[in-house]
Amino acid sequence: MSRRRFSKVHMHYDVAKNSTLATAVLALGILSSACSPAGENADVGKDVFRVAVLTPGPITDQSWNAGAYAGLLGIRDSLSALTSHIQVKTPAEFEENFEQYGSQGYDLVFGHGFEFQDAAERVGRKFPQTVYITTSGNRVAPNVSPMVFGLEEPAYLAGVMAGALTRSGIISTIGGTELPPVKSLFLAFIAGARSVKPDVRVLGSYVGNWDDASAGKEQALAQIQQGSDFIFQNADAAGLGTFQAAREVRGVYVFGANSNQNAVAPDVIIASVVIDLPQAFLSVAREVKERRFTSRVIRFGASSGVVKLVQNPELAHLLKPPLRLRMDSVQRLMSSGKIVPPRLDFVDTSGPSSK
Amino acid sequence: MRFVDFLAQVIRIAIPYLFAAAGGVMAEKAGVVSLALEGFMLSGAFAAVLGSFYSGSPWIGLLCGIVAGLLFGLVHAVASIRYRADQIVVGIAINLLVIGITRFFLRLAFDSSSNSPRVAGFSEPAQGNIFLASLSNPLVWAGLLSVPLLTWVMYRTPFGLRIRAVGEHPEAAETLGIRVPRVRYGAVALSGMLAAMGGVYLALDQHQFTDGMTAGRGFIALAAIIFGRWDPARAGIACLLFAAAETLQIQLQGTQAIPSQFVQMIPYVLTIVALAGVVKRSVPPAALGRSAD
Repeated sequence: MSRRRFSKVHMHYDVAKNSTLATAVLALGILSSACSPAGENADVGKDVFRVAVLTPGPITDQSWNAGAYAGLLGIRDSLSALTSHIQVKTPAEFEENFEQYGSQGYDLVFGHGFEFQDAAERVGRKFPQTVYITTSGNRVAPNVSPMVFGLEEPAYLAGVMAGALTRSGIISTIGGTELPPVKSLFLAFIAGARSVKPDVRVLGSYVGNWDDASAGKEQALAQIQQGSDFIFQNADAAGLGTFQAAREVRGVYVFGANSNQNAVAPDVIIASVVIDLPQAFLSVAREVKERRFTSRVIRFGASSGVVKLVQNPELAHLLKPPLRLRMDSVQRLMSSGKIVPPRLDFVDTSGPSSK
Repeated sequence: MRFVDFLAQVIRIAIPYLFAAAGGVMAEKAGVVSLALEGFMLSGAFAAVLGSFYSGSPWIGLLCGIVAGLLFGLVHAVASIRYRADQIVVGIAINLLVIGITRFFLRLAFDSSSNSPRVAGFSEPAQGNIFLASLSNPLVWAGLLSVPLLTWVMYRTPFGLRIRAVGEHPEAAETLGIRVPRVRYGAVALSGMLAAMGGVYLALDQHQFTDGMTAGRGFIALAAIIFGRWDPARAGIACLLFAAAETLQIQLQGTQAIPSQFVQMIPYVLTIVALAGVVKRSVPPAALGRSAD
C-alpha cells in the first residue's frame, strides 16, 4: 500500500485526537438534558412542623409530580410548615435523601411513588420520629404508610357513562403498560359499563410504554375502526395520542386519567378520572401535625373527595337527565359501600410489618 | 377489519421509518455511520411544531423541520468529516444533544416539560373516514415517494455514483478527481433533512410535540437499513415489514386472545429472526466509518 491516508493506524490516531470534540458535544448533551432543582430551607428550629417531598420527576409535568408539589405548597400555606422538595432518580438517591430529612428531624417525608416503598421502609427504621408516606405504596411499617387511591370508584362511574352513551355498543381501554393499578382501573370501568349495558363489547390494548403518543394514536385508531366510540385511557403522554385519534373521527369520546385533562382536548374528553393530590397530601399532613396519625394503609375513596370523576362542561349536553340521575345514585351507593367496584388487590393489608 | 384499513395503518406507521431509512441509506452509502437519525427526527419534529405554532401553517412547519435537520446534519458532518471525530460517538452525542435542546426550548417556548400546545397539521378530520384522512396528508405521499426517488438518485445520477464511490473506495474516488469530503458533506446534510421529515410527519400528525416523541424510531430505521443491505428499495420494504408487524401487534391486541406482552414482542422477534435468518450476510459499504481527508 503506497498511500497511508486511509490506513487503519492513521485512522486510530485521528480518532484519539478528535474524539475529545465528540466527547465535549456528548457532555453538553448530557448536561442540558439533566437538571434538577435542589432542596430549600434546610436548617431551622426544632419546634417548627417540617415536611419534605421527594418526586421521581420534574414538578412541571402538569400531572403526577406537579400534583405533589402543589400539595407541598398547600401544606406550607395551610399548616404554616417549613417545606422542602427534591427531585430524585435512583434508589440510592431515594435512601440518601430520606436519611438526610430524617437526620434533620423532619416530621413528615413523602416519597411520591410506588418505587419509594423499599427505601422508606429501610430508612424509616432509623428515624422513628419521622413519618414516611409512600404515594401508591403497598406496605405498612410502624412509621411508614402507603397512600392508596380508590380510583376504581370514579372509573366505575366513567364506565356507567360509557355504557349508557355508546351508540355502537363497543367501548375500549388503552393502557401504557400492563401494571396492576392500571388493570384494576380497567376492571372497574368495564364493570361500570356492564352494569348499564350487560352486552357491551369491550376491546382492550396496551401501548407498551407511557410516552409514545404516535403509538397511542394508532392503538386508538385501530379500536375506533373496530367500532369503539368510548375509550378509557390511562397512558400518560401516550394517551395524548388517543385524544388526537378521537378528534379525527366524529362521535368518538375519550376519558382523561389521573389529572383533570378536560381542557387538553375539550371537544373529545368527556370526563376525567382525577386524583386531587394536594387534598390528599394536606389531609395526611394535618393528621401528623395534630399528632393523631396512626400508621396504616391510607385509603382515599370517592367519599374522601380526593378521587373523583370530573365532567367536561363543554360536552355536558351529551348527558341527558336520566343518566345524570343514575350517575348520582351510583355515586351515593358507592359512598355508602352498597356498590363496590371490582379491583385488583395489590396492596398488602396484613398490617405493620416488623422486618 | 377491512384490508384497506390495515394497509392504511401500515403506511401511516411506516412513513417515519421510510424518511429516516432513506436519509440513513444516503449517509451510510457515502461512508458515514448514521447513528444520529433519531436526533435528526426529533429536531425536525420540534422545529416543525415551533414553525407551525408561530406561523399557523404546516408548510412553514415542514420547512423549519427540514432546516433543523439540515443544521444537525451539518453538525454531524463537520464533527465527523472536517474534524474526523469518531462517527459513532458523534451520532450518540447528537441524539443526546437534541433530547436536551428540545426539552430546553419546550420549556422556554411553551412553558412545559412534557408537550407543546396544539398546532396546525396537514391531516384534516375526514368525518370518520380514517383511510381518506391518511391519504390527504402530503407527507404520506412524500414518504412513499422518498424510496423510489432515492433509488433513482443513487443508481441513475452522477451524484449517486459519487456517493457510492466515496463509501466503497474513497482512495479510488479521489484519484478520479471526486472531492470526497464535499460529497460526504452533501450526503450527510441531505440525510439530516430526510430523517427530519420523518419527525415532522410524527409531530404534525399528532398536532403537537411531546418530549422524546420519536421513541426510538430512528434506530428501527437503522435496523431496516441493515436488514435491507444498504439498498434503498430493500430498506424501504424492510420499513413496511416492520410497520406491518407493528400493525399486526396492534390489531391482535384488540382481540385479547393472546396476552398483550406476547403480542408486543412480535415486531422485535420478527426483526431478530429476519436479521439472523432470512437475510444473507449483510455487507456494509466498505469505507463505512472511515474518515478521509
